[in-house]
Amino acid sequence: MSEISKPWLQARFPLLDSFRSTMTAPVLPREKPYLACLPILITGALVFQLLSGLVLSLFYDPADGFDSVQFIDRNVNYGWLIHGFHETGTTMIFGAVYLSLFRALWLRSYKAPGEILWFISLAQFILLLVIGYLGYVLADGAVSYWSLANTVSGAFSLAGLPGGLGVWFFGGPDGAGTLPRLEVFHAVLAVAIFGILLLHFAAERGLAPRENRGVGLHPYYTSQIFAAFVVYALIFAVLVFFAPHLGENPLNRGPANPLVLPVGVTPPWYLLSISNVGHAFPGTLGSVFAVVGRLALLFALPWLDRSAPAKPPGFLHKFLVFVLAVDTILLSLAAMHGPSLLGSILTVIFTAYYFFHFVVLLPLTTALEAR
Amino acid sequence: MRRLFLAGLVLACLAAPRVQAEDALNPPRWQSEGVFGTYDKAALQRGFLVYQTVCAACHSANALHYRDLDGIGFSTEQIAALAAGVKLSSGPATLDDGFKNPYPDPAAAAAAFGGAIPPDLSTIVAARPGGTRYVYNLLTSYAAAPGDLALLPGHYYNTAFPGQQIAMPPPLKDNQVAYADGVSASTAQEASDVAAFLTWASAPNLDVEKEIGLRAVLFLVFLSFIAIATKRKIWRETV
Repeated sequence: MSEISKPWLQARFPLLDSFRSTMTAPVLPREKPYLACLPILITGALVFQLLSGLVLSLFYDPADGFDSVQFIDRNVNYGWLIHGFHETGTTMIFGAVYLSLFRALWLRSYKAPGEILWFISLAQFILLLVIGYLGYVLADGAVSYWSLANTVSGAFSLAGLPGGLGVWFFGGPDGAGTLPRLEVFHAVLAVAIFGILLLHFAAERGLAPRENRGVGLHPYYTSQIFAAFVVYALIFAVLVFFAPHLGENPLNRGPANPLVLPVGVTPPWYLLSISNVGHAFPGTLGSVFAVVGRLALLFALPWLDRSAPAKPPGFLHKFLVFVLAVDTILLSLAAMHGPSLLGSILTVIFTAYYFFHFVVLLPLTTALEAR
Repeated sequence: MRRLFLAGLVLACLAAPRVQAEDALNPPRWQSEGVFGTYDKAALQRGFLVYQTVCAACHSANALHYRDLDGIGFSTEQIAALAAGVKLSSGPATLDDGFKNPYPDPAAAAAAFGGAIPPDLSTIVAARPGGTRYVYNLLTSYAAAPGDLALLPGHYYNTAFPGQQIAMPPPLKDNQVAYADGVSASTAQEASDVAAFLTWASAPNLDVEKEIGLRAVLFLVFLSFIAIATKRKIWRETV
């Protein structure tokens, strides 16, 4: 077929042709489960989050954080809905991120050659935690105000490099200049996360085996992703409209008051498992150690797991990963309603189990199963 | 058997609202409660009357404007008349004025109440665990202090308040307001109505939210059936 006998547009703009052949090239494996769509769903949700955040940022005023959120909810046309999208969108994204982390642990996809992909997902998770925390602080409620004050004073009490980072990030003691600064970080990091997502998809694509007799992206995986997307949207809609403030401390919906310390300075659910680990160790340095240690163990996972890379996960491993997930949920619930004696004891126990799992149980059982 | 069960279920659903309408005070209930809850505008208007006569004497509600009251079923003329009756420092209030703050600044409020500033009521129901029910319980749980308890000066015993000692004097008593719709203004009725009004003040968009939500969820349920069926049909052709 000569160039000129092609349809007019294809002869002059061949990009469409190559796009079509890429979309339909039968190189993808058959039978990928629905949960394999999670990274794409997270990306889509983050784009949506960026758009709703853009609208909110037009009306948000960090000098008057709480009142401007009230203004958005009450006086901006459909501001309450956009705010709800942004708030519940966070819950949905963290739900999907926690689920995909659980899936990686369950399937052991962090083993060779998946280490870099695993590091990228962890970096994405940590960045999301930071963005999520900043968003929570921007609400400027009675609880998040105090959370920020504690965080800033904690950062300043550290000597050396960590303290220096605190100064650089928060720009001085908690005051009028802090929230405008954090609003900028919230937005910049929210854009930066798309760079990490790009790396994620590049790594995933490089690792995916190319099939000789596979299926094409379109229509096979596009239809699957669409179905997954609609179910995701359905859960999202149920939460937005019928459980709009799921997992939040209700006290945070009152205005910030520098003279009144709320009973429990507890963050939204997606930060609980991290913040509660911090409470299990005494002192600011202990909290920093606990949080850094908790995340560092996840980075060390490819080496803590002693099993052979290609071996499918055994029953014991799956059971332990399941127990770890239950432990994480219970750890989040333990101090959800503020400090209590029982809550403190349980927090210590569940935190101890988390470290015990990674440092002792996991290397031991995987070494046993490998034999 | 199943049909009988279904018929019973439908009957139960039909009967449920009727029971609710008979007596919403024993035990206290609000129409806005539950997944499909909506506001009872009559209760909101009664609650606004209690708010305006009693609460507004000491509490601010800075996030609310008089124009917002069309959300509880008042007409623009009614709101304009209501607002005109409120004297601000700049003259009578208009539709676009915020609810009158009874104190010029927090220091004045603190001085008037021995340091306990009456909290802003715009988001009080959202910002308290238990929400509507907490406000109702707080307003109806004043009691005589037990003999062995020495109250702080200027405080009152209230079993619903954390710590049991509250600086707010018992605000409601029987027939403190006269309801236009003839409902008898017992303390419990006033507390229930004002709790309903404050629930609306915290979440004025609840009705629209439920309406849009129901449409969105129904649409997405159908769409997800179609999407999953399409996916299965496409994948069936691979082999």
